[in-house]
Amino acid sequence: MSNPIRVLVAKPGLDGHDRGAKVVAQALRNAGMEVIYTGLRQTPEQIVEAALQEDVQVIGLSSLSGAHMQLFPAVVNILRQQGASDVLVVGGGVVPEEDIPYLKSAGIAEIFGPGTSTKDIADFIRQHFQGDGITLTRVDHVGIAVNSIEASLDFYSTAMGLHCSGIEEVTDQKVKVAFLPLGDSEIELLEPTTLDSPVAKFLQSRGEGIHHIAYRVPDIQLALGQLRAQGVRLLDQEPRTGAGGALIAFLHPKASGGVLTEICQRNSE
Amino acid sequence: MSKDEKLASEQEAWESNLKSKILQRFPERRPKFDTESGVEVGRLYTAANLPDFTYEENLGFPGEYPFTRGVQPTMYRGRFWTMRQYAGYADAEETNARFRYLLEQGQTGLSVAFDLPTQIGLDSDHPLARGEVGRVGVAIDSLADMELLFKGIPLDKVSTSMTINAPAAVLLAMYIAVAEKQGADTKKLAGTIQNDILKEYVARGTYIFPPEPSMRLITDTFAYCAENLPEWNPISISGYHIREAGSTAVQEMAFTLADGIAYVQAAIDKGLDVDKFAPRLSFFFNAHKNFFEEIAKYRAVRRIWAKIMRERFGAKNPKSWMLRFHTQTGGSTLTAQQPDVNVVRVAFQALSAVLGGTQSLHTNSKDEALALPTEDSARLALRTQQVIAHETGVADTIDPLAGSYFVEKLTDELEAGAWEYIRKIDEMGGAVRAVEVGYMQREIQDSAFRYQQEIENETRIVVGVNKFQLAEEHHEGLLRVDPNIAEKQVARLQKVRATRDNKAVNGALVKLRSEALNGSNVVPCILDAVRVYATLGEICGVLRDVYGEYKPTSTL
Repeated sequence: MSNPIRVLVAKPGLDGHDRGAKVVAQALRNAGMEVIYTGLRQTPEQIVEAALQEDVQVIGLSSLSGAHMQLFPAVVNILRQQGASDVLVVGGGVVPEEDIPYLKSAGIAEIFGPGTSTKDIADFIRQHFQGDGITLTRVDHVGIAVNSIEASLDFYSTAMGLHCSGIEEVTDQKVKVAFLPLGDSEIELLEPTTLDSPVAKFLQSRGEGIHHIAYRVPDIQLALGQLRAQGVRLLDQEPRTGAGGALIAFLHPKASGGVLTEICQRNSE
Repeated sequence: MSKDEKLASEQEAWESNLKSKILQRFPERRPKFDTESGVEVGRLYTAANLPDFTYEENLGFPGEYPFTRGVQPTMYRGRFWTMRQYAGYADAEETNARFRYLLEQGQTGLSVAFDLPTQIGLDSDHPLARGEVGRVGVAIDSLADMELLFKGIPLDKVSTSMTINAPAAVLLAMYIAVAEKQGADTKKLAGTIQNDILKEYVARGTYIFPPEPSMRLITDTFAYCAENLPEWNPISISGYHIREAGSTAVQEMAFTLADGIAYVQAAIDKGLDVDKFAPRLSFFFNAHKNFFEEIAKYRAVRRIWAKIMRERFGAKNPKSWMLRFHTQTGGSTLTAQQPDVNVVRVAFQALSAVLGGTQSLHTNSKDEALALPTEDSARLALRTQQVIAHETGVADTIDPLAGSYFVEKLTDELEAGAWEYIRKIDEMGGAVRAVEVGYMQREIQDSAFRYQQEIENETRIVVGVNKFQLAEEHHEGLLRVDPNIAEKQVARLQKVRATRDNKAVNGALVKLRSEALNGSNVVPCILDAVRVYATLGEICGVLRDVYGEYKPTSTL
């Protein structure tokens, strides 16, 4: 990018602790960005107004008073109302871990807590604007929702000649999974174990069929951060353990044209 | 050759021998060692490093000028420092419960944390209070909340510190009004209001009015307290927040003392007798990471203040020369990573404050980089002080590190560094001017940025942050402030507005406006207004109208 990235560093609410905000502002400036600092006691409305007026691409919010749960999402909402949802919003300060998933789902791309290196913040912002996609190494598997694994294996084993390498129950997904390796990838047959399983709901509304597609990534944490920086909506803000001990995370189907998309990292890599 | 000269030349010979022979084979960890303030730390200190040191001039006896060794003649042999944990969250009822719990656990003084709307003189239903009510402290809108806050706590029996600045006069008035209702003798009220506006502009951010009327409000409280509350400290001149904002130890000392000079000068200019108010000035410092530097800082700062008061302001009463101070361990030194390690940091910091002769101490809780402290972590922090007091024996003799070549040298160097800044600020026209032009703010900002860079390039190690990290961390059991607290607080406020004598409130506010306009002492009028349940927002609203609001200078 030829023009420097423009960043607004803002202090929403009444909190007067601006050491972090000022240090980050200075560090981003040294990293070649153009930085405007709002000063203290800004309402979300004032922050958005300043962001639009200054034509920034990034807003960095800082609060140490515990008001982040109300004020950070308010900034994102006003940006959306003003048709400026392309502005990247990141936050920092004293933010308890358990608040982070909510803030991310509300549209804050990343939260940088105490002890974060300013270099990481600059890198995150730059990555967002470089527009590089994440690294996918292969199609890991295709998940197919079935009413009964046993019945479906008739077709997949007998007719298609695939070999079932194992069946595993994933309790937190309420699903039984049969693995059918094929080259570098595999087919996974998903059978719900309870009525409230996500796969059971899928079957109820759509019947048997392709449920999701999963891509292999070398570093799932990195990939999630990059996706967030690109503004991609995620179902899982943090990776969790899926079938076969892989680390997995789902993207929001709205982000991927209705195809439920999973990324997954396997320990063998 | 004198004895000192002989030692100096021997020390030099030892150093050069070291450099030529030993350091080649066994290099030191770093080419240069320095404190957090950038004071170079030598390899070894001897009497040769203190050529001008004399016991009488540099140290004196405890309780005597220049008070390097402490302000009381017996120090902790008479009585330990006051263990005063800062607490306050949600509403007055919950904070009252925490206060009673802390008193039961052996805490010896109260310290009130107010939420941000209160600190900025806004009622809980003000639009700017959104998301902030009850977050970082207790929400106080009117005398009704203050009555709940101190319910069952006899105010003539405890000492109470209130971290309140711009609206300090209003909260003090509420405290007096609660005491009156309890039937307590207000002459016996003991405690402190922070009331230090200059450092709010520099470092903490809870200002309301511009400097000039703010200084007037402060001298009004000095005068009122000198007359009516002889046991009350009408100000706590604070370096704590200056340090938290990223200053060095020297800047913390110098900017605090420069602020102190400005308050004393303002009061004298208003016609107050220095020896009438100066004995009740109190200070507040940070206990940061570099152990010896912190100890030297407390000793040096006492010595400088004694000189300022006696020589510059001509105070005659020895009590006017004494710098009495509260200490809190450094919040910004706590890490969100491996928070248990913070217990260890806090213990060392607390120990430095005790070895430096603090009058009262707050020890931070291990979880404060993550959230407000839980009851358990606040108790552990208090226990840390109790171990220092009752188990280590460090409190059994006065100023035990005096005479250490290193500590004395460091004390001298910090003093010299602070004087240099004070002179610079004097030349600028004093602390108020230095604040207005953003001088202190910029100096602090530069130090904070330098510090962050040192961490990022690993010339400074923070355990668990840039070295000795754990791959994955999960923090559980953090305190959650009830998100419905704002609604509850607003309901209480509306009930007060509906049930009080609104005619009396209007009358009191009209009177306050006219007194503020004609420049007389506003504290008695504020007291009249709180007695009839005028709210904090209403009182500060009148003063905002008359005084105007502060617009900060941009320093970025």
